[in-house]
Amino acid sequence: MIDSLALTPFEVEALTLSLWVSGWAVLASLPPGIACAWLLARCRFPGKSLVDGLIHLPLVLPPVVVGYALLVTFGRRGVVGAWLYDTFGFTFAFNWKGAALASAVIAFPLLVRAVRLSLDSIDKGLEDAARTLGAGPVRVFFTITLPLVTPGIITGVILAFARSLSEFGATITFVSNIPGETRTLPIALYTLTQVPGGDAGAIRLCIISVVVAFIALIASEILARRVSRRIEG
Amino acid sequence: MVTRRSFISLASFVFAAALSLPAQAAPLPEVTVFAAASTTDAINEIGALFEKSGQGKIVPSYASSSTLARQIENGAPAQLFISADEKWANYLDEKKLLSPGTRSVLLGNRLALIAPKDSRVALAIEPGFPLAARLGDGRLSVGDPDHVPVGLYTKEALEKLGVWKDVEGKLARGDSVRAALAYVGRGECPLGIVYTTDAAVDPNVRIVTVFPENTHTPITYPVALIKGQETDAARNFLAFLKSDAAKQVFERYGFATK
Repeated sequence: MIDSLALTPFEVEALTLSLWVSGWAVLASLPPGIACAWLLARCRFPGKSLVDGLIHLPLVLPPVVVGYALLVTFGRRGVVGAWLYDTFGFTFAFNWKGAALASAVIAFPLLVRAVRLSLDSIDKGLEDAARTLGAGPVRVFFTITLPLVTPGIITGVILAFARSLSEFGATITFVSNIPGETRTLPIALYTLTQVPGGDAGAIRLCIISVVVAFIALIASEILARRVSRRIEG
Repeated sequence: MVTRRSFISLASFVFAAALSLPAQAAPLPEVTVFAAASTTDAINEIGALFEKSGQGKIVPSYASSSTLARQIENGAPAQLFISADEKWANYLDEKKLLSPGTRSVLLGNRLALIAPKDSRVALAIEPGFPLAARLGDGRLSVGDPDHVPVGLYTKEALEKLGVWKDVEGKLARGDSVRAALAYVGRGECPLGIVYTTDAAVDPNVRIVTVFPENTHTPITYPVALIKGQETDAARNFLAFLKSDAAKQVFERYGFATK
């Protein structure tokens, strides 16, 4: 069934697109993700549990719901989508940016969760000590808090990246199945499973997915270990 | 002359009817129908008529014919298959999955260029017509031309008209004709290509023009029973699909009946 180990152009396209889309999804959600985690871990404000719930919603909602909501909101005719297009000529509809948006929304809770857990576990006394020594809150955040939660951030980034790579339902609902734009690995795989005679190709893509996921997990393990060693040592 | 097969089905029908008479709540025999997405509305309506006639109840599953062929190949419990093109019926035939002697052409259809209902676009279909230019930076909503029948017909027609190369990179590929229809109906795509019958059921789209029949292979819908699944109810439904009552429904939705 597997004739050659070399990747076909179809596979290369799906794989690079997946990495590109997931990379952007994680990169773009990193600053708001850390901000949300900090907000939830360090602040008390009215409606906090509502915000907490909203952030975690994509984790439990069927991805199709998220995709449909994105289509209605950010599609060419969507409330926000139409405005974005008329004002900036920018659109998420049927392009890789839409795929990245869908992945980012789906993976966001994982990122926030990991960072927040990390924030909860660090010794708040260190932050307080820095404040009593005269450092402002911004300086404390960048010189004390951020370095201490780096392992959490790395875990969050890897988890979110892996979840983005596997994103299917929201993506296909929101931005369809366009080669080179939105046909990521899982969607290419789905397409092959729909085509009679597509078995060999589908199995190859399965193997590629497993390999990529495995590499991501091992990389996160190594990175997290190295960082925690540096913090302790 | 009464053939043996029709005698058997008649006899079993009478037998089943006799059995079901005393107990009025006896469930009707079910027929699992795998049908091309474009036949959704018509088959639902015909299924209701079939049920009313007391011969059975259909359990329909609608998707792209390629998806359905694929599922049948993998042992899905379909009893009757309606495909939107000959290709996927041939595919199952070659794998010896269709019941011999039950295949026939049920319907015919046409290809239409559609736009959202408030669109003012006008286009005539002729060789080299400015389809890509009319799309602007929007996309052409089609069935995936790699496997979905409406997409295969679309690709064939646009290649023949010499505009395929211009629009190939501007497609939004739906995984069935109804997915392609929905993108135009919601206004996400300025133009799309579906069957005339799909355009007719969606009030949010309008037909810009219909493709001339000489631009693609004739669109025909073969129907057949699945091998090993030829229950009486399935045979009855196959016959019912060719009845005048069913033809009236198909024609009302714009299908050509044979």
